[in-house]
Amino acid sequence: MKKALAVIAIFALAVPAFAQSGDTIKLGGTWPLADITGKQGSMAAQLAVEEINAAGGVLGKKLELIVIDDELKADKGAAAFEKLITVDNVDVLVGGMASGVALGQVPVLKKYGKVYVTTGAAASSTVEKAIGADSDWYFHLHPWDYNQGASYAQGWDEIQKKYPSIKIKKIFLAYEEGAFGKSSFDQTKVLFGADKRYVIDGAPFKSAAQGGGDYGAVLEAAKTFKPDLFLWAGWDADALPMLEQAKAMKFNPGIYLGAPPGWPIGFGTSKLSDNVMFYGMWAPSINEISPASKKFYTGFVKKYKEEPATYFAPLSYSAIYIIADAIKLAGTVETNALIKALEATKYASPLGQTITFTPANIIKHQGIKNQKILQWQNGRQEVIWPFESATAKPVYPFPKWK
Amino acid sequence: MAKKRNATILVAVITVAAVVILFWRPTVLIYGLQAAGLYASIAIPMGLILGIVHIVNLAHGEFMMLAAYATFMVCQAFGLDPFVAMVPVALVTAAFGFMIYKLTIRQALKSPELNQLILTFGISIAITQLINLSFTSQTRKMSFDYVSASVDIGELSFGIYNFVFVVIAILMVIGLRLYLTKTISGKAALAVGQNPKGASIVGIDVDKTYGFVFALASGMIGMMGALFITRSSIFPGVGGPFTMKSFCLIAMAGVGNIPGILGASVLLGISENFLKAFRGTRGWADIVFFVLIITVILGRSIKGKKA
Repeated sequence: MKKALAVIAIFALAVPAFAQSGDTIKLGGTWPLADITGKQGSMAAQLAVEEINAAGGVLGKKLELIVIDDELKADKGAAAFEKLITVDNVDVLVGGMASGVALGQVPVLKKYGKVYVTTGAAASSTVEKAIGADSDWYFHLHPWDYNQGASYAQGWDEIQKKYPSIKIKKIFLAYEEGAFGKSSFDQTKVLFGADKRYVIDGAPFKSAAQGGGDYGAVLEAAKTFKPDLFLWAGWDADALPMLEQAKAMKFNPGIYLGAPPGWPIGFGTSKLSDNVMFYGMWAPSINEISPASKKFYTGFVKKYKEEPATYFAPLSYSAIYIIADAIKLAGTVETNALIKALEATKYASPLGQTITFTPANIIKHQGIKNQKILQWQNGRQEVIWPFESATAKPVYPFPKWK
Repeated sequence: MAKKRNATILVAVITVAAVVILFWRPTVLIYGLQAAGLYASIAIPMGLILGIVHIVNLAHGEFMMLAAYATFMVCQAFGLDPFVAMVPVALVTAAFGFMIYKLTIRQALKSPELNQLILTFGISIAITQLINLSFTSQTRKMSFDYVSASVDIGELSFGIYNFVFVVIAILMVIGLRLYLTKTISGKAALAVGQNPKGASIVGIDVDKTYGFVFALASGMIGMMGALFITRSSIFPGVGGPFTMKSFCLIAMAGVGNIPGILGASVLLGISENFLKAFRGTRGWADIVFFVLIITVILGRSIKGKKA
């Protein structure tokens, strides 16, 4: 009986070893595939896997990416990770987008301690807190909300210093109704209004994405406030209708800035888009200053016959390269060795910046800490800050409506 | 006599309130009426189906979304304006509605109401997913200069394009009234709506009437889908919230009361914009929506009990 148990135990221990010693190194990722951002994120990750395999793979093995749709639901995301780890025996986890899903996945991640290079989650008060300081296996690429806020404040300070004609005193935030919008407004008040350098006001609106789409009242409130910088935080569905209504009401702030996760198809072809500023991490214009961006963009368009719509595509692409480089450096997929190798990451990403991992407020491994300030100019998305990634100078003020 | 007096008092109160709002915050009235026009013109076709076919079409908003995508494609391919494209799109949506009626709704007419709801809910999900798979979830929007048309009165500048939907809603009410009271097929539809068995006994083809009304309402919502893209972005989930809103407006107006839908929409549109005019109540628009519905339905129930 004891012999039989010993044989079973040896067999059980040997199975994972056999699984890892095959011809492939398995990466498992979850993205919301019905959403363009998540779908393109997974497509970009697959592109990176194919490029790496075409160049000979990693440690003589091919990379294999297993993708599961998290459907933007926390329970689906958690179940997907459980399956990827226990059934598919993946070596590394990757991907992600929404904070809500990420929060649901935390217990599974903590249970197995599998190395995870994530492209999603910005909500520090929930996700970062839940991950905690001890989760060495957690590598977070996307900036947290406080990283983003701090980088915007820094960005506008530097822009005003470099371009003295740009003067910002009054900021109005039009934010979508709900917890996210309210928390964005609260953070804006804290970040920009703290030392009374800026005067902040704001009003909520119901986003078209939630069945709204009437911006008259919020724009009326903004117009009465006479802001130097008008910022709206909503969805891509709000972008053009809000501009149309602003034009109809002759609302002309010095800076008109949007912060949707993506832009509607063909936004740049609309005359109204010209000189609208926005926050983001990547734009096709970065191809001109970054060979990595050009390589990613060309490969993506060639393979999928469509343009990357949001920065989640180059971010997911970067995640795969970062993992591949770390496995090469570690010479194994063993967790501790891989964590050490990931900590040494120095990856010139298509986002126009080199990614390294440094501590955040709570977690130990934070990748990107700043967003970019961009502007639509003649149908193109130009980076205007940080200056080292800039592809154009800002056009100021936002022109009067004709 | 008492009814007439009450109606006169109501009209007088509404007129005084409108004049006060007009002078105090003109934008409340302007944007309120514009929102009301949109709500009513989307809800009226649903009200027509509910009043005559007695089916709650939970795919109503998705029909509009489908028509909006069709318009988008037609406009992109042929360089047409949505006001031109709405004619073929309305016809195609009417045909689509007729097909949906024949293939699905008709089979469930005698089923319990819950089954009918599940059926139309299933259709709505199928349409949304089909569009999601075909076009992805990324939003699309066409830009037209006339959408930003505005009027300046003193320091006040406001958009006037959305009044188009007020005109459409009024035309829908008048058109349906004329159709239902002045034409033979309209009178037949009205009879079928009031008493399908009785209508059948006197020789009206109930099934044919249902099919026609469903197609007519689908054509109307198809037309609205075509015009919807002039003011809003489109994406697979854009129609869903309008189904809910339309259903609630019909509930407020009372089933079969088409002009009542217009009145309920005006009440809702102005109430929403009234709250948005105050800093402390800007986020209460959804609450007022449900408060109004509960108040109206409760009031009607109490009145019914007393009667």
